[in-house]
Amino acid sequence: MTAAGAATSAVAGPDAAGGAGGAGAALPSAQAWQAAAQRRPDLFAPLDAGARVALLARAQPESMLLWQVEEAGVAVRAEPFAGYAASGADIALACDDEALAGVRAAASDQLFETLRAGIRSGHIVCYILRRRCHLEERGFEELLTELGFAFMGACR
Amino acid sequence: MNRPGEQKLKHLFQPGQIGNFKTRNMVKYGACCVSNYNTRDGFITPRELARTRVIAGTGCGIITNQGAYPDPLGEGKSYFRQIALFDDKFIPQFEMIAGYIHEFGGVAIQQILHAGRYGGIDLGYCIQPSVVPQTLPHFRPPREVNKEQIRLIVSQHAEAAKRAVRAGFDGTEVTSFMGYLLANFNSRFTNQRTDEYGGSTGNRGRFMRELIDGIKQATPDNPLVVRLNGAELMDRWGGNTEDECFELMQQAVDAGVDMISVTVGWQEAPESSIGRDIPPGYWNYLSERAKKAFPGTLITFGNRLPDPRMADECLRDGIFDFWEVCRPLLADPELIHKAAEDRLDEVRRCIGSLNCLSRLFRDLPYTCTMNPALGHEVEPEYQVTPATVKKKIMVIGAGPAGMECAITARKRGHEVTVFDKAPRIGGNLYAYAINDLARPDDLLSVISHYEVVAKKLGIEVRLNTEVHAKFMRSVLHQYDVCVVAAGARIDRERYAHLPGAERMLDALDVAHGRVKAGQRVVVVGGGKIGLTLAESLRKHQGAEVTVVERDKRIAGDVKPSFKWRHASWVEELGIPCRTSTRLLKVDAEGATVVGADGVETLLPADSVILATQMAPAHGLFGEFEWMVDELHGAGDALIPRGLEQAIQEGFRLGVRL
Repeated sequence: MTAAGAATSAVAGPDAAGGAGGAGAALPSAQAWQAAAQRRPDLFAPLDAGARVALLARAQPESMLLWQVEEAGVAVRAEPFAGYAASGADIALACDDEALAGVRAAASDQLFETLRAGIRSGHIVCYILRRRCHLEERGFEELLTELGFAFMGACR
Repeated sequence: MNRPGEQKLKHLFQPGQIGNFKTRNMVKYGACCVSNYNTRDGFITPRELARTRVIAGTGCGIITNQGAYPDPLGEGKSYFRQIALFDDKFIPQFEMIAGYIHEFGGVAIQQILHAGRYGGIDLGYCIQPSVVPQTLPHFRPPREVNKEQIRLIVSQHAEAAKRAVRAGFDGTEVTSFMGYLLANFNSRFTNQRTDEYGGSTGNRGRFMRELIDGIKQATPDNPLVVRLNGAELMDRWGGNTEDECFELMQQAVDAGVDMISVTVGWQEAPESSIGRDIPPGYWNYLSERAKKAFPGTLITFGNRLPDPRMADECLRDGIFDFWEVCRPLLADPELIHKAAEDRLDEVRRCIGSLNCLSRLFRDLPYTCTMNPALGHEVEPEYQVTPATVKKKIMVIGAGPAGMECAITARKRGHEVTVFDKAPRIGGNLYAYAINDLARPDDLLSVISHYEVVAKKLGIEVRLNTEVHAKFMRSVLHQYDVCVVAAGARIDRERYAHLPGAERMLDALDVAHGRVKAGQRVVVVGGGKIGLTLAESLRKHQGAEVTVVERDKRIAGDVKPSFKWRHASWVEELGIPCRTSTRLLKVDAEGATVVGADGVETLLPADSVILATQMAPAHGLFGEFEWMVDELHGAGDALIPRGLEQAIQEGFRLGVRL
């Protein structure tokens, strides 16, 4: 089942206004993050309800910004970060300070190009927290492709 | 050193030594990847034995058998059908393999492979020094190993080494390549421990030193090889720098390892290390550095170094002691013999398509684009044997399918003539090769191989000769067999109803150079033909190019291991790709397209190139049906696909005609 049209909905969480990322690095605002998802229904519409994508500062992460797919659409949540496994995320985008600044600046435009470039250059590590079959079932193929994972598990 | 090639490549063919074992030459067959031919519980199958017998006969001085996991739980197991060596029950088949290697005069090395971060394939988890999540979706979530487990793993490696030696192997090898357990301990990226196994380079290398010590104590008379990264290519993510890699190598040397195999990259590294886009010799500097830094330890190397001539020069120049080679021998198991006999022009080169790895990552047995018999050595149906009835065969099409079929049939004793309407051998592979941004030489080598071998076998190749019904009538009863391997063409009929369809250029005409495109181009079709052409026009001709693709993604028909390359090329070259977009009409202004949103857009262009679906050559089958005794087809003429299928089908037809 997929989230209807990726219509973004609630903005929730203790740090929803953004700002608390990690040492010296602020995450984008929840509004900007919500708007970013809204602009790309092609990536979010295929995701099942329950899918979670985390954004965090790689060095000393304290909180994370989540795209969480719900029945009504994509919600944005800011939650404390208690570790990758405990995050409940399917994938986690862990950014260094430089990348996080770039992501903040690009949140309103060209976000996915920025994320893809950050992953390719090594400034963002995209941690895959679920197995391929799970991600495929949950509808992540479009999003992972957009992030540059053209081959779902490859040696280059 | 009596054969002519041995004189020419005298550094490669000089005898060598590892430990107390003399080698006939300076070539080490590397265990480059697991075949996935074996049972799910780790036993070696007849399929594997037949393959390793071929490998044993490659003529290499040292032969490394593929990696076996050393633990009964399978935490070290990285592929579903990987071989195991955690129990004596596995020894009999290892004895057979060691026997094959010795029978052919090689020194037998058994690799022990604990995959660490890439392991636990049957378990749903993997073990690592620290919990660092995966960055590729193929692998399992991590668990941290404790010190007791570390001691157990070391002893399992030592026990596996003892079993290998008992089975008759002369030495063993442990591997960190490409991101396995040993690499996980060595690397800053995956080792974030705070105990004596983590932190400093010295601490991170402790596991490796204990491993080397454990194996050397267990098998003191047998050489031990360690495969270590000269570069992880993970440093952008916080992995080891090259300097740290060499500090770790120093530790291995100090711990008494007999040989270091210098490797490059991890499986999850964000950049390429062995693909077709890396020029041969690119990584030699790492081996050279190791050789200079550790003069008392044997260095073996071969990453992206497929040519024996280059290897001979490297040996001459002191860049390494042994040439480590694997994939080129999968593509052509006769490579070393051909080099020794000065027949390198006949070599079937590894083209770096990474079909082998693409299949492993889909949990399939590996196969080779260039060697259709790989993995089928045990099957008589794949053997080239003398034909019972000698026939006269005409092959229509000098592309890979046709040439493969012609060469195989000729080797069986048939009389073969190949016809092609083009002025050269190669078919559409030639067009693809000359537009390829990665390594045109690799693909052109396939064509060169066909030219040389066809000539040596005495196959008549009649170029500039189109075979049609009239021609067939002129040769009635002259041939017993006709093989239609005429390839495929762009299917213009699908677009014939569109206004201005006749204005469109055919992608194959442009790619072959029969037609020249302008400077403002729209390519309709974002598959491998369209993308390759778009990239070439952009890079070589400076054209402004836009790609239009009906599907929601580009590169749908591209091999999985190369999709990312096209994705990054179109980005780097600034080629806009309009996906989920259909062509509506073509006129003097350009191409009008409609996107998924229903909005129509005019894309200004002086050339609109059709590079969409291919149509097979089915018409020829109908025309020739009553003109020849046996009529067969192969490759794109049957179903348009790719190089691998063309070669496989041509070969399979050739061995049974």
